[in-house]
Amino acid sequence: MIPLVLASELTKRVVVTLGGEAVAQIRDTVFDARAGRVTGFTLSGRGLLAGPLKESLPFSGVHAIGPSAVMIPGETVLEKRDVAMGADGAGHGEVIGAPVLTDQGTEIGTVLDVVIETGVSGRVVGFEISTDENTDRHRRKAFIPRGETLAVSGRALVVPAHARHFIADDLPSFSAQVEAFRAHTAQPYPQSPSTGTGGPA
Amino acid sequence: MMMFTQVQGLPVITADEAEPLGRVESLTIDAHTSGIACLRLSGAPRHITAIAWHAVEAVGRDAVIVRSRAAADPGQDSLPAHQEALGRRVLTEHGAAHGTVRDIAFDNTTGHIHTLYTALGDISGDRLLGIGSYAVVVRAEAS
Repeated sequence: MIPLVLASELTKRVVVTLGGEAVAQIRDTVFDARAGRVTGFTLSGRGLLAGPLKESLPFSGVHAIGPSAVMIPGETVLEKRDVAMGADGAGHGEVIGAPVLTDQGTEIGTVLDVVIETGVSGRVVGFEISTDENTDRHRRKAFIPRGETLAVSGRALVVPAHARHFIADDLPSFSAQVEAFRAHTAQPYPQSPSTGTGGPA
Repeated sequence: MMMFTQVQGLPVITADEAEPLGRVESLTIDAHTSGIACLRLSGAPRHITAIAWHAVEAVGRDAVIVRSRAAADPGQDSLPAHQEALGRRVLTEHGAAHGTVRDIAFDNTTGHIHTLYTALGDISGDRLLGIGSYAVVVRAEAS
């Protein structure tokens, strides 16, 4: 089972060094241009009146993203903010709200949130979407896995058409769907001749 | 083997002069060695607020014995800063919460931390990574 987390849930999560000191909390999650991976986090101070920090946390400095805290080896991994942000404009806000299309041209919904694999990888494994009538008679929230060759333009997000068969209703079952989706993508032709040994000719 | 809560409040006595130096307020752990670095004293009449573990002769059921006043005194500033572990929340290095430290078992001859007791299970002292003002961080269990 793949441990998953929504990007919005990371907001306000405390950043703790392996020495046990809380140094900041997550303010926002920053993705790379293709929304395939988390590149880092902007930070704010801890406490009610604390504002944004000048330092940011590059994803390479993250020891682990856990359910209770984001762990870092020490305060030295924090960088001046612009370093982790990068120059490309694929920030959090441009993914959220973008329409999701399949590579066959069907619109299936709009992005509500980004699903990240926790632990040490930081991979974006899929999206929480608000589905259209095309996909479902009732508008609802659903989770859809991302393809390996996902394209994001800032205006729209294109996923493989077969990703629609791996939609899940909640995060725990989505974890299993992502695994199934990956297995399916790795083996595109399950009816290949190699499985036919011993069958009737 | 003894518990932290058993040692708290014990009188500290010098063996040479039979002089009370105060009572044990808390024990400071060195997370890198998983051992006790020093004892913090309260009610110390001689301005000795901390005693390095190597100056401690014995930790018994009723008292902590230090060889002499002189042995207890030097090296005050080389002692690590105290971070209280009892009652502190526990996080694994993967960022998962693991309750709070209820009590700690240690070897009263070597000072080695044996077990951290939490409501969510026991943690071997060898898994200690760091003790800070926010949390006690432990290595994730090998699975």
